[in-house]
Amino acid sequence: MEYLYGIIIIVGLYVILATSFNLIIGYGGLVSIAHPVFFALGAYTSAILSRDFSVPVLLAMLAGMLVAVVASIALALPSLRVSGDYLMIASIGFQLGILEVIKNLRFTGGPGGLTNIPPFLIRDFGRESYVLLVLAVMLGVIALVWWISRGDYGRAMSAMRDDELAFSSIGRDAIWMKIAIFALGSGLAGFAGALYAHYFRYIAPEQFEILQSSAILTMVVVGGMRTTWGPAIGALLLQALPQAITFLNLPPSVLGPIQGLLFTGLVLVFMFVRPQGLVPARDIWRAAPRSNAENR
Amino acid sequence: MAGVLEVKNLSKSFDGIVVARHVDLTLQSGRVLGLIGPNGAGKTSLFNLICGVVKPDGGTVSLEGAPLDGRKFHQRVRSGLSRTWQHTRLFPSLPVIDNLLVGTTDYPGERLVNVLFGRARLRAHDTVARDKAQGFLGKMGLSGVADDLVSDLPYGQQKLVGVARALMGDAKCLLLDEPMAGVEGQAYAAMQRVVREIAESGVAVCVVEHNIAFVRDLCDEGVFMFSGAIMARGSVAELIRDPQLTELYFGH
Repeated sequence: MEYLYGIIIIVGLYVILATSFNLIIGYGGLVSIAHPVFFALGAYTSAILSRDFSVPVLLAMLAGMLVAVVASIALALPSLRVSGDYLMIASIGFQLGILEVIKNLRFTGGPGGLTNIPPFLIRDFGRESYVLLVLAVMLGVIALVWWISRGDYGRAMSAMRDDELAFSSIGRDAIWMKIAIFALGSGLAGFAGALYAHYFRYIAPEQFEILQSSAILTMVVVGGMRTTWGPAIGALLLQALPQAITFLNLPPSVLGPIQGLLFTGLVLVFMFVRPQGLVPARDIWRAAPRSNAENR
Repeated sequence: MAGVLEVKNLSKSFDGIVVARHVDLTLQSGRVLGLIGPNGAGKTSLFNLICGVVKPDGGTVSLEGAPLDGRKFHQRVRSGLSRTWQHTRLFPSLPVIDNLLVGTTDYPGERLVNVLFGRARLRAHDTVARDKAQGFLGKMGLSGVADDLVSDLPYGQQKLVGVARALMGDAKCLLLDEPMAGVEGQAYAAMQRVVREIAESGVAVCVVEHNIAFVRDLCDEGVFMFSGAIMARGSVAELIRDPQLTELYFGH
């Protein structure tokens, strides 16, 4: 059972990562590869605060999210003021740089990582409670991104993606909107990181490498960018497939490369056969039907 | 009489090519000024300079006495300056009505905090904005296509949607970049009527246009631009009669 719980939690956390990344790259049109590092910042902040400073875990988790938000604003503010493309370049440096810093600091445990991270809920209510917590947060994040994308904010995001200059010409501030989208998406990744840390109770820099960035991107692209369920389905599929392969009892020397091939192969296949992903997005933004009805 | 928009000594050159040469321009409330001149005279560039899309080398722009220099495009728009585009620049992924709804000066839905915690405010704003948008669409004869995609409309109607979108922001000064280019038939008449009504409501309007008949019928005054400089200002009829300007316009 413990094995299954672990898988459910990993899948749930990747659904959060893919959904929040979809907000950034799909709805916001912001190309960043630094999503894993915000995941890491949330995990490390929450782990260190609760383990070394005896901060209650729930508070530490929220602090982890906050640190991810602040860090994302620090990255986005200067890059987006230069130009949108600059964010991608800056995010590569940010992803590699922050991870390098984590590897070389004493209080982050260096390359060996952190162990003995305080558990949350499990001692009092069992592992099932944590599974429920992760699933609840996952559904909350999906609902949040859906809510944002369908209402007035979604309309503005659509307009911004269509034509940024025209967006300015109606008095809207594209830079501020992009920063807000980036900060929210990154904050959600940070919270996922905190949830990760207090369940597995061990974190190390290698878990947040740049490779994770391509995995999250693959989930969004294969699942269906700019859709509510696409990234969730993509995350489920891309987490389940490697797990399924482990049941083939292949030697580890073959298993690793096969998983890598599977990821890149999937992206290639989808680019050719179904570029819109499993769940295709509509080209046209429409207000949520309910709010339309309210207005008539 | 002080103008709504005051442009003083505005200059700009790109790698030695002068697009604005010490331009002085005043737009008055309730009046339509036609900006005419041959291609490359710097008419659209002047709009871009006024809006802050392009930074001037020198000179100032002020709206109702308040300087706009150093302010960003969207900030200038929020303070009452609005413009349309020669090639409409509508939002193709949004239906007609939503192209307008996203263009109100105050748009509470652009802040995440309102999206999460200000539902009542959003709904109240939406109701008002929808009425306003429907009003503009009605004036332009576009009520029937409110829920259509902009790309499904004939080009002339798209241009009207562009003007309607620019009006959503309660502009005090409106810059229209070739509103008649590609516009025919009913849309032509609607555009003429709409621009007139905008001016009558007290907005200072400036029109860049190659359709001289339109400029002559509509504009209270004309300005002739050539090579980044304002060559003459007067009634449109006088400007078109001037043989020197005609020569500049058509070349040799």
